[in-house]
Amino acid sequence: MKIKTGFRLRNICGENIIVAEGIENIDFSKIISLNDSAAYLWQQVEGKDFTADDLATLLCNEYDVDETVAKADAEALAQQWLETGIVEE
Amino acid sequence: MKKVANTLVIANDILIPEVVRLIDEGHTVTLPLRGNSMRPFLEDERDKALLKKPADIKVGDPVLAETAPSHYVLHRIVDITGDKVTLRGDGNLGTEHCRLADIKATAIGFYRKGRDTLDSTSGLKWRVYSWWWTRLLPVRRYLLFALHPHIPQRIKNKLHEKKSGQ
Repeated sequence: MKIKTGFRLRNICGENIIVAEGIENIDFSKIISLNDSAAYLWQQVEGKDFTADDLATLLCNEYDVDETVAKADAEALAQQWLETGIVEE
Repeated sequence: MKKVANTLVIANDILIPEVVRLIDEGHTVTLPLRGNSMRPFLEDERDKALLKKPADIKVGDPVLAETAPSHYVLHRIVDITGDKVTLRGDGNLGTEHCRLADIKATAIGFYRKGRDTLDSTSGLKWRVYSWWWTRLLPVRRYLLFALHPHIPQRIKNKLHEKKSGQ
């Protein structure tokens, strides 16, 4: 999977917010924001093709986390990103 | 800034400059509205404005303006004389002033009452409402009083709960 074209991570008011710069309208009544570790992962996979496993590896390298936990979290995150439409297969 | 059950509350002096930045980049911005200064058309915490870069600003337009340093309002323009702009919120009696350069965005429409359809400022509903409401300024004080919810919503909710409980 990869990040959809034109979707960027912006820091708005201290929050890591996904902004679709290809899309004209920014809707502040519906914001997609990432916590710090999700934002880290996003930055690592920008412009690249990646899998949930890649995310898990990144988590293990960057954070002190168990591999099974990392895998589960990475799967869940990838699923969320797909569902909210910021990432495509 | 705080998160309240999936809602992020950000102070205007932090949020609005970001909104203005996005507007300047050419985006439109959908902004949830707070306050009573644009009643009766718009209500606190219920409605949203669709904002765009200002062009051809004229009297009657609802605009986002910086009326004092880091202080922003979304009010209707009631007068433009040279560079001086006078604003009055539909739910207000008093006015604010700013310069043309302080007008940061114009509202091209509103999403009201939880609907997905835009009440455009070029549409009939807004124009008819505006025509009447601005001309009723001499009696606005009384209309606002009449339209004001004398029974706060939370009390209405309590009464409703009691009734359906029986």
